Amino acid sequence: MDSAYAIETQDLTKVYISRWKRREVRAIDGVSLQVRRGAVFGLLGPNGAGKTTFVKTLLSAVRPTRGAALIFGRDASQPEARRPIGYLPENHRFPTYFTGAGMLDFYAALSGVDASRRKKLIPEQLELVGLSQWASMRIGKYSKGMLQRLGLAQALIHSPTILILDEPTDGVDPVGRRQIRDILGGFEQRGVTIFVNSHLLAEVETLCHEVAILDKGKVALSGKMQELTAGKGYRLTVGQPPEALAEELRVRATSMAVRDGLVDFQFPTRELANGALDLLRAQRCEIEALVPTTSTLEEVFVRTVQK
Amino acid sequence: MVTLALIRDTFREALARKIFWVLFGLSTLLILFFLFLLRIDIVAGATATVSLFGRQGPADANVDRLVRGVYGGIATFLYTWGMFLAVFASAGLVPSVLEPGRIELLLSKPLSRAHILLGRFAGNVLVVFLNTCYLVLGVWTILGAKTGIWSPGFLIAIATTTFIFAVLLAVVVLIGVTLESAAAATMITVALMIISPILAQTSLMMRLLSSEWSRDLWRVLYYSLPKVYEVGKMTLDAIQSRTFTGYTPIWTSALFGAVMLGAALAIFARRDF
Repeated sequence: MDSAYAIETQDLTKVYISRWKRREVRAIDGVSLQVRRGAVFGLLGPNGAGKTTFVKTLLSAVRPTRGAALIFGRDASQPEARRPIGYLPENHRFPTYFTGAGMLDFYAALSGVDASRRKKLIPEQLELVGLSQWASMRIGKYSKGMLQRLGLAQALIHSPTILILDEPTDGVDPVGRRQIRDILGGFEQRGVTIFVNSHLLAEVETLCHEVAILDKGKVALSGKMQELTAGKGYRLTVGQPPEALAEELRVRATSMAVRDGLVDFQFPTRELANGALDLLRAQRCEIEALVPTTSTLEEVFVRTVQK
Repeated sequence: MVTLALIRDTFREALARKIFWVLFGLSTLLILFFLFLLRIDIVAGATATVSLFGRQGPADANVDRLVRGVYGGIATFLYTWGMFLAVFASAGLVPSVLEPGRIELLLSKPLSRAHILLGRFAGNVLVVFLNTCYLVLGVWTILGAKTGIWSPGFLIAIATTTFIFAVLLAVVVLIGVTLESAAAATMITVALMIISPILAQTSLMMRLLSSEWSRDLWRVLYYSLPKVYEVGKMTLDAIQSRTFTGYTPIWTSALFGAVMLGAALAIFARRDF
């Protein structure tokens, strides 16, 4: 456990070869990522970008064709390397013959928690995720949101130092989502590394401090959330300006969009916005609005995958 | 602790399947049958009367022969229907653990893949072992108490039935990890059970087959496939206190099972999920 990174991949590549056609599919292609200890990291990407394959290589459910996946500096294929991991799978299929408490007991035992500690921890975890009163009910009768919360309790029960969460709030109502975010916030404060794979960009933006966007199996963008969404600037909305002026402003602006007879110009700095304002006033153009803006993660995401 | 958890999980899953309760129910019915319906009166070491469902049977039957006959019948039942039901019930226990959304979670735990598969295998064998013990020990105790004859030969049926089940389960596990199909696992395993008495006719077939290559092929099949029929016959011989020649059916079946399980472990270790 000497590595500075909780998760590190080096040139991670997975090529699937169809059995009959001998066709190659590069699910992930040379992915090198580092997730610092204690970071809350989000992995994003469009469908088929390779996110699930990437997560599975971290858990050794998928063997990489090339490269390495390391957990605290140890090869993820070694069982001991996975001891610090708490994992909540996407589309989980927990055995329905378990009760809530029985399921936690089973997975905690597999994670190496001894019987006396399990006895103490199970009611605590059920309380944490708000399932205490359903502890002895068979999970076949649980709702999707309840299963998700139970899955989270399962991932947390052995006090992991890395949480790998695949769509953690999938199927959970807004109150439950808030509760899950609060729980994860508590773990973040305790220094637990949280790795979230989600398609809910707003949720990733709320939860994570660092993100990587995978596209076509490669890292298309990665960095700190603050820096990536620092597309701060000013949106100037005006009535139809003369064509020559519109062209001049378009060159100065980072983007231009026409909607409902109005034109939006996006400027990266206050100086450029003021300059544009002066030009518009000089030609007596109508100014509808001038508002400061920040890039949302969604905008960053769309820009990245559409490149 | 981890192995125990895996075994207990297999138990829980088995108990959640109706077919295992059918197996247990049939065993209970047989025990109740011998407990309440079969009445044997012994006078001076021989059966004075034997009554079944309240109707009297022949009185001059030899007690020892009667008891051994019953044991033979039970062992045959276990070997045929019991084994079939056990294989049928167990066939889904490996594919179910490989379901997407379940296997990833198991693989994320600090366990080797071999540990996961062997834990499931051991749990499954233990379920069948306990059910076999329940039936054999139940019938053995009731008949022993009723007749005063405590024939230990019958207890061998526990070992041989569990052993052959474990060998067949290795095939179920291999099919499970490669095809993930309970139906295919059942069909192939039952085919092995059916082909076994045919392959056991080796000396007859050596005379009937005309070409050397066909005789060689027969020998290869005979020695490489599990000898379900012959191990069953050895069990009956033990019950009847007859001698049997050699342990070849045991060790060749054990070797077959070990190869199947080894192949299953190797494939499971390399698979992506």
